[in-house]
Amino acid sequence: MHPATASQQISGPALFAEGISKAFVSGQQRTQVLDGLTLGIEAGELTLISGPSGCGKSTLLAILSGLQKVDSGRVHALGSELGQLDPRALERFRLQHTGFVFQGFNLFPALSAFEQVELPLNHMGLSRDEARRRARLSLEEVGLAHRMRLRPSELSGGEKQRVAIARALAKEPELLFADEPTSALDAANGQMIIDILHRIAHAHGTTVLCVSHDPRLVVHADRVLAMEDGRILSDRRTHAAVTQSKEIPS
Amino acid sequence: MVALARKTLIYEWRRFLPAMLAVGFAGLLQLLQIALVLGIFGSTSLYITGSSADVWVGYPGTQSVGSGRTISADVESRVLMDPAVQRVEPYIWVDGDWRGVGETGGVSVFVSGIDPGANGLMFSKALPPSLRARLVEPDAVVVDRSALDQLGVDIGQTATINGHPVRVVGISSGLRALGGVNVLCSLDTARRLNDDPADNGPTYLVAKLRDPSKAGAVAARLRGATAFGPYTTWSADDFARLSVLYWLFDTGAGAGVLFLAGIVFLVGAAITSQTLIAAVNGSVREYATLNALGVGVAALRRVVLEQAFWVGALGLLGASVLGLLLLMLARSQDVPVVLNVPAALACIVLVMGLAAVSGLAAMRSLRRADPATLLR
Repeated sequence: MHPATASQQISGPALFAEGISKAFVSGQQRTQVLDGLTLGIEAGELTLISGPSGCGKSTLLAILSGLQKVDSGRVHALGSELGQLDPRALERFRLQHTGFVFQGFNLFPALSAFEQVELPLNHMGLSRDEARRRARLSLEEVGLAHRMRLRPSELSGGEKQRVAIARALAKEPELLFADEPTSALDAANGQMIIDILHRIAHAHGTTVLCVSHDPRLVVHADRVLAMEDGRILSDRRTHAAVTQSKEIPS
Repeated sequence: MVALARKTLIYEWRRFLPAMLAVGFAGLLQLLQIALVLGIFGSTSLYITGSSADVWVGYPGTQSVGSGRTISADVESRVLMDPAVQRVEPYIWVDGDWRGVGETGGVSVFVSGIDPGANGLMFSKALPPSLRARLVEPDAVVVDRSALDQLGVDIGQTATINGHPVRVVGISSGLRALGGVNVLCSLDTARRLNDDPADNGPTYLVAKLRDPSKAGAVAARLRGATAFGPYTTWSADDFARLSVLYWLFDTGAGAGVLFLAGIVFLVGAAITSQTLIAAVNGSVREYATLNALGVGVAALRRVVLEQAFWVGALGLLGASVLGLLLLMLARSQDVPVVLNVPAALACIVLVMGLAAVSGLAAMRSLRRADPATLLR
């Protein structure tokens, strides 16, 4: 998708959370994880939510991606209010619009890299040829063109995470969520992963929302939200974002 | 479409092996059990299935071949009057007490008096023509190979039945009986061996039709006349079934078969479902990721069910190969085993049903594939 068309389709932020609250109850203990949080995430950039573990950033990601319901407040994604959708409709929304990258790579041991990427595409109603074309393109984009016949056991950790990214990317989602995508990787591989996520946001106009406590990522994000105790402490745009976005041809 | 179920099954075959073995052995146990029961109890209808008669005439209320009573010999002319009937011959059943030359004590024998002519209907499929011809000799008998030790005789030796001397002129195979020993002789010899002066007619009349497919209709047509004394008729198939069912349920073996089938099903399903559940749990994060990407729970359930199907199919294949080998071994050792299409189908239904139930049980663990759990 072209950056220009993406921003034209959506007026305002691609993702908008309005006064969202979420609490977890375990036994007698009630923990308020998010309390009246309001937040907008723009399309075409890599937004990083950073903070110590337990600050509520993963819960925020789960809510913004429609994997979890809010106690109160509203989440608008691409013009839909996620709270209004039943579980089937939410599945359909995720199928059409979202990609996920998790900390664990969660690849099927029996499938080759190519099949891992092709599998979700089969369920999108694409023709076989189109699914295979997209799978090949995505794997090429993450630099795995020569490794696509290998199974997870034959790939390194960084390569596995790139397969997971290709699996999300091949769906051509408007929204891409990444949860601690680099925490299981060494510095070089972590660097490569964040570069790929950054490139996806800029080249495809995708809204990339990444949650991480990895301080190395901060300099690569377009926007960094620092979270603590369920609140956003700071919201700043980094220098990298300015220079990078200028390089993108219109 | 990426064949996730099959590829996982092949790649992680060790994980699925216990399920396939459980399904396979459940199928094998069931198969052999049915084959043995059919073989053992099938021998109670050997008199019918080993003969080429299409219609049987006997005393009303007869529950199995071995429990017949004499009917009037005049019934033969009534049966012959029917234009569909080609040939009728009497069949005499005598319960006998065998005393052999060896130290065997008394042995209970079932004497079958048959027409020894070349066109004789009785045992035409079980008795070779040369052996049949030897029965023409007075007091000649043929016994089954498997009963020689039990009877304490060998070919050419003499013994007595109900105090009358008989001589073993031949040894046949495949005439094993249940609860006694089959002894074949001519009608004349059988009449001499019968102690009971009240029995003066044949136990059965058996008829061959011009068109065997009309057996049911002809049997129905011949029934009901009373002018010749009490008698009734059955088609050969009906009478064979009657005999087998009588033995199955009179001896409690039928209930035993059903009981064991239930146990086999339960044990097989328990092991198979546990294995499939473990397989689902092992991949639960991958399934959750697919669900996060929007692949519906219904599609994931299909993957689990497909795996259950393949486990069932492969288990069945193994059971079939091993089962056939064991059945052949049993045949070679004179163990009575019989497998027919309905029995084989019953095994297939049981095994695939077992796999399906296990798959449904395993499908429940997909509930744990909640993508939100991946974000903790």
